[in-house]
Amino acid sequence: MAGVVDTIISWIFWPPLFQLVIAPGLVAALAIVIFILWFERKTAARVQMRVGPYNVSPRLGGALQLIADLIRYSFQEPIIPKTVDTAAFILAPLAMLVISVVPTAAIPVSPLPWTWPIPMEHSLLVALALTTLSPVFLVAAGWASNNKFSVIGSTREAFMVTAYELVFIISLLAVAAPVHSYNLVEIVEAQAGWRMFAILNPLAFLAAFIAILMSTSGFPFEIPESEHEVVAGPFTEYSGLLYGIDMGAAYIKRYVMSVLLTIAFLGGWKPLDPQPGAGLLAGYIAPLVVVLVKATIVMAVMSFFRAVYGRYRLDQAVDLAWRVILPMALAGYALGLIYGYLGVI
Amino acid sequence: MSSPGELKLSGWEVGETRKLPGMDVKKIGKDLYEIFIGPQHPGSGHMRIIVRLDGDVMVEVDPDLGYVHRTMEKLAEGRSFIKVIPLVERMAILDACNITLPYVEAVEKLMDIEPPERAKYLRVLLCEINRIASHLYGMGIFGVFLGHSTMYMWPFGDREVFVELAERLTGARLTHSYPVPGGVRRDVPEGFTDDLRKAVRYMRKRLEEYRKIFLDNPVIRARLEGVGVIPRNLAIELGIVGPNLRASGVEYDVRMVEPYEAYGELDFEVPVFEEGDALARAWVRVEEIKQSLRILEQVADKLDKMPREGFMHDKFWAKAPKLYKDVYSREGRVKLMPLFANLKVPAGKAFARAEAGRGEIVYYVESEGKFTPYRVRVVSPSFRNAIVFKYIAPGHRLMDLPAIYGSIDYFPPEADR
Repeated sequence: MAGVVDTIISWIFWPPLFQLVIAPGLVAALAIVIFILWFERKTAARVQMRVGPYNVSPRLGGALQLIADLIRYSFQEPIIPKTVDTAAFILAPLAMLVISVVPTAAIPVSPLPWTWPIPMEHSLLVALALTTLSPVFLVAAGWASNNKFSVIGSTREAFMVTAYELVFIISLLAVAAPVHSYNLVEIVEAQAGWRMFAILNPLAFLAAFIAILMSTSGFPFEIPESEHEVVAGPFTEYSGLLYGIDMGAAYIKRYVMSVLLTIAFLGGWKPLDPQPGAGLLAGYIAPLVVVLVKATIVMAVMSFFRAVYGRYRLDQAVDLAWRVILPMALAGYALGLIYGYLGVI
Repeated sequence: MSSPGELKLSGWEVGETRKLPGMDVKKIGKDLYEIFIGPQHPGSGHMRIIVRLDGDVMVEVDPDLGYVHRTMEKLAEGRSFIKVIPLVERMAILDACNITLPYVEAVEKLMDIEPPERAKYLRVLLCEINRIASHLYGMGIFGVFLGHSTMYMWPFGDREVFVELAERLTGARLTHSYPVPGGVRRDVPEGFTDDLRKAVRYMRKRLEEYRKIFLDNPVIRARLEGVGVIPRNLAIELGIVGPNLRASGVEYDVRMVEPYEAYGELDFEVPVFEEGDALARAWVRVEEIKQSLRILEQVADKLDKMPREGFMHDKFWAKAPKLYKDVYSREGRVKLMPLFANLKVPAGKAFARAEAGRGEIVYYVESEGKFTPYRVRVVSPSFRNAIVFKYIAPGHRLMDLPAIYGSIDYFPPEADR
């Protein structure tokens, strides 16, 4: 009997499956996104002299509102207009959702080799490469919709991709230089104590943070979906569950990028230091929880901006990215090279 | 299902229509993209803006009005004089007193009566409450157009203070029908002026917070500075009115130029800004709210000093039935006087104007000596401001359209009448 239980546990916690589907993959992503959306609504309501979500589960402070929303979306009729390219219209949001989660396969949550779904030698590059895939499907969704507002929204997204992608990659490479490695595990292990890269290299950290906001339409860069010119941007023609997936995918992407930011800049599972030979709980679950908590805090900070900022104009955002944020990321990278040359870490 | 890729682009002349699955496509010009913003669009209101884009830049912007036209002027010809008031105040329910006041004044001119002193102050009181509420509404819409959700919620929440005051004064939150020929419908309730002063203090504090989170917010400043500039001479040429005109450096306010009601006796300024851009238009509204608060304080002091009688012209008051006067002396408040149901206005033509929240509103009333007016002509401020889209928006980027729209505080129901 004990053997069966062990087998089931070993199946569930088989890293390629667990990491992608459960945590930090899809299930944890959904749970954290539900929490973050609730937090976002509640903080915004607090700032704006409102109550926020309340009627669904009043005892939990309306925490289940998003679940109710999801149920509503799932039972709504998904209308597929005659003029759309049907296959691309349906597949684009699904692909966007799945591909948003894929980078979690390359993100380690523990230093112990048996918890890694893939070999970690070049995990930073793999994770970065995988995060750059999903905008393609956002653009495809808008193009397949065959609606003028969708096409404008997609074009805006394409502009934003050019603005943030390079910034995000360069600012994350700034942590690889001092460690002389693309291995995320080594990058985390280098950040012992308070020597986090967020403190050592604040320029790169800030650039990466802003790039995440830009890539996931966070305020003040909520431009592709800007309601008052382009209705819902690329998602104008979507309805029902597909619309829910469209909206959720951006948050899942933000979550995955926040996890990557946590690993690269905020010391990952530090202050925990699982030793070889640690069991499932101490070696896998505990460091995972630390990473998730840190990522949630990063996302909560991002959510708060909704209550403070309006949105930039498209040209202003692109201009800001190329003239201010990109030099900042390059300066961060230079700082990282200096650390690497001097051997500070 | 055929794909959109089937459209043949070669040899396509401007103006020629070709088929796509489910739609006809017409070429409107080289490298032009035409989008119809509205009438069912989160950023349009009850109107349509036809925008032609070259890339991200608007080349041609055509405001298409008339979606909420209700033939008010024609309807007014079939209604008794008093019933025209609730009709025309549907133009801008949140600015009801300012919108109906010139009509009432025009009728008073025809009847050759002047409201008593207290009624004039009561009218000014509600006019300024309405002006603040109207500006707050406009700022809320402006905020959400720029994606600033806090600036959407705050003014709408604070507007509630003034809507509540109006409700206590008149019994209705929005469509007050408060000024009637000869005076106003009722006097202020007990303790009203104290609450009014409290509201004034609260609003002053809040305006400072608006400045911090919205007007001095770097993102918002970047969106508004130098956007939608209406130069002084163009503003005069196009006949822009209200805060938009004053943001372009023209000092014109009907309250100053031709003081009506009690405005001549009150101490206030007309804020004028020189820049003429969207930020200046936002600032004019904030400064106007400050001046309205000043007026409200003066009116509160004045109302406290005055005897609590004479909110209706003596000529009408003398005709009121005994029961009516008994109810008034007992409860301090009454319904509309019964004689208004059959109000006969002497033949003649009258013209009156007032400064509503969005600018100058003009009424022309012609009577043939019957129970109904022969003609009621309205020129509303939003209608005069609508032309701005056509001349100001081209050359800006598409994302500037909400900034321009919001800063003009355009209100389609008011324009369409």
